[in-house]
Amino acid sequence: MTALIQVDDLHYRPSSLPQGTPDILRGISLEVQQGSFTVIIGENGSGKTTLINHLNGLLLPTQGHVLVAGLDTLMPENRNKLREMTGMVFQNPADQIVASTVEEDIAFGLENLNLPTQIIRTRVEEQIRQVGLIGEQNRPPHLLSGGQIQKLALAGVLARQPRIILFDEPTSMLDAHTRESFLKRICQLHNQGTTIVYITHHMEEALLADQVLVMHQGKIALQGSPADIFVEGNRLREIGLEMPAALILSTGFHALGWDIKPGLNTIDVILSALPAYHAASSAPAEIRRPESRTVEDALIRIKAVEYIYLSDSPLAKQALNGVDLEVESGAIHALAGANGSGKSTLLQHLNGILRPSAGEVHVGPYLLEDSDTRLRDVIQMVGLVFQTPESQFFEIYVGDEIAYGPKQFEMEALRERVMTAMRMVGLDFDAYKDRRLETLSGGEKRKVALASTLILDQDILLFDEPTAGMDPQAREELLQLFRTLSQQGKTIVIASHRLEELALIAQDLTIMYAGKDLETGPIHQVFCHMDALKNSGLIAPLSVRIGQRLGQLGWPITSKDALTPHQLLEKLQELTR
Amino acid sequence: MSSRFEFLGSTALGQYIPSESWFHQRDPRARLLSFLFIFIGLIFTPKIWGLIFGFISILLIYLLARVPLKPALKGIRRALPFILILALLQLIFTQRAEQQTVLWIIFGWQITETALATAVILILRFIVLITHINAIVMCLSTAQITAALFHLLKPLEFFRFPVNDLTMIAQITLRYLPLVAQMAEKTAKAQAARGGDWEQKGFNPIRQAKRVLPLIIPLIVNSLKRAEIMAMAMESRGFNAAEQRSSYYQLKMNGRDWGLLTISSSVSTLLLFWGWLF
Repeated sequence: MTALIQVDDLHYRPSSLPQGTPDILRGISLEVQQGSFTVIIGENGSGKTTLINHLNGLLLPTQGHVLVAGLDTLMPENRNKLREMTGMVFQNPADQIVASTVEEDIAFGLENLNLPTQIIRTRVEEQIRQVGLIGEQNRPPHLLSGGQIQKLALAGVLARQPRIILFDEPTSMLDAHTRESFLKRICQLHNQGTTIVYITHHMEEALLADQVLVMHQGKIALQGSPADIFVEGNRLREIGLEMPAALILSTGFHALGWDIKPGLNTIDVILSALPAYHAASSAPAEIRRPESRTVEDALIRIKAVEYIYLSDSPLAKQALNGVDLEVESGAIHALAGANGSGKSTLLQHLNGILRPSAGEVHVGPYLLEDSDTRLRDVIQMVGLVFQTPESQFFEIYVGDEIAYGPKQFEMEALRERVMTAMRMVGLDFDAYKDRRLETLSGGEKRKVALASTLILDQDILLFDEPTAGMDPQAREELLQLFRTLSQQGKTIVIASHRLEELALIAQDLTIMYAGKDLETGPIHQVFCHMDALKNSGLIAPLSVRIGQRLGQLGWPITSKDALTPHQLLEKLQELTR
Repeated sequence: MSSRFEFLGSTALGQYIPSESWFHQRDPRARLLSFLFIFIGLIFTPKIWGLIFGFISILLIYLLARVPLKPALKGIRRALPFILILALLQLIFTQRAEQQTVLWIIFGWQITETALATAVILILRFIVLITHINAIVMCLSTAQITAALFHLLKPLEFFRFPVNDLTMIAQITLRYLPLVAQMAEKTAKAQAARGGDWEQKGFNPIRQAKRVLPLIIPLIVNSLKRAEIMAMAMESRGFNAAEQRSSYYQLKMNGRDWGLLTISSSVSTLLLFWGWLF
């Protein structure tokens, strides 16, 4: 049987690419079988998106061929059939929403198939039911939450009943809970026979696939089943990818002599393989509830803050609903919560961009509920890096973008400041200062955005989903930068839904849910509250969950010892020695 | 305190109020055309009594649609300073003819009866039009507008008129406006977070203008980038692939819809020929 998708020595080079730079795709050959699930991983800029844009003919090869069900994408007469056969979910799902209401957007793709109104109506209703958007039919898309937009994007694609669905990092904006149900839906589609090609930065997602492609610099570096791929630990690290936590732990447990096979195991298999603790005199680790505490040295103090977005309009929405928060001076404080739980809104209250509808916000010496407090004074103390900050650039050159802040405050020694800021994020001053912003890669843009805030050298730094869409290596660099800033005495508040990352750096954690703070405390204590986490759409890191199970089995291990897989393995080695 | 960064709140879009009222149940084409007829009538009606009659018919729509009058009042209050300035200019610069009654003479300017009447009509016309436009946005969703347009223009396809493309353009524009407002909001916030001067204290048009300028270029650049991605998304969803395109909405006019059209067109005719009739 021939493969459904056949890519043969594919090269791609857009005509706008300057001379001397290598092609974006350099000789890719691959096969995707009918009904299979292929995952593509690789660092930012390795050509993943470019590759899948070839599979539905949005881009055409400069050299080589792409055949989908035997149809060559280069032939213009095949175009309609290709579009009918394939569906695509974009990286930022909001980009693919065309119409001004939910139901109309789902209908868009069907109208393009020239189906009769009656059939369109049935299919739209069916999709709304299946993806769970009942009651939202008439909402305008820009007022949906991130998770709902993702559902809508998928519904729009599924309504057309394509044979192949291409996904471009569809879960990077989703919280753990939404992500899990989204992945479940994809597995379901796969089981129903849909062919799936899926780009991701999350190695755990790669484990779901039949076939994994690892891309590196426009080529396929590795190809095979997930089990084959993740055996190549060193090679993966070389190209900036990380190992899934489940794999690290399974391998480690096997090395400890436990009854588990090395390599890939599902979480259930790992949990059931954990042995009981046999040392004589150890009481089971006690799970302590975080006691309510008062922070002595609070730099940020928030009391009963409420905020109503678009108040006085039919679209008014209560975004914050009585939040209390205290952040210790010099701490790294994490805000975790599902999409739409109010994290971003809360962060924007901490630097005065938003002012509370009710309640008190004290930041350092400033009272932000007082409208006489000048925003510019607060800004000099508090810096905020927004979510996907690279979409907010407003200058043309790197140097100007970074220098914007200090210019506003008429600071001295502008050049030195720009240099220092660029050095902090790892951008070479001479090589980058005169580059145009749009010529930078995604990772470089993120660095410029960071530098343009760090240059103001504020005491408090706020980050909104700083690692979203970053590859593992870039993520690791960023976490390192947070540690350095913290050592310099900065107070840092990070909003994120990725608890595994927060576990690596944060001391304190506040869980946000529906515009309220649900739990606050030292991060390892908050992690003990599985129910609170689950109810607010979060999932504790795998190592913490395993650590807790070990605790129940009598091991003297608390979640403090299990914040990362490596930490947990070290502790276990110590105990079994 | 409402935020100075909620640009979305200041766009009129998205104010649609879904309802099961008699008026909302009418075919979108009937509603759109009724609004259009009355709009034309209001613009061209020559006499003050015509405007008052038009105003009463609009209030009737508010009643039939069961939508609140408050947003309209808010809109009028916001626009009032500009309307008053215009009325004042009208008062001062209306041409004088010999046989006109001079009411007052202020600083050498003669205020005639005609000038006063035109100024009052101008104020009234604006108030009525704002009330009318508010009724439109509350009674017709963007989706209904595009569907109505599509079906109204459909016959023109016979003359090779690109109805599909045109309604698509309308639809995307309507989808885009709130996005542009959101983008402006993001960029303004990014600038403010880095010390840009976005605080609104008092009335200072020059400072306000200076604030908006740096937004415009990034807004255009970002809009173009987004448009490019959206074009790709539309293509991947099969737009322009088939020769023919069908529609999600199948509209059917019933007796009541025709009734509404008859009444609104009569009102419009009455308004247009008011001066001649009475």
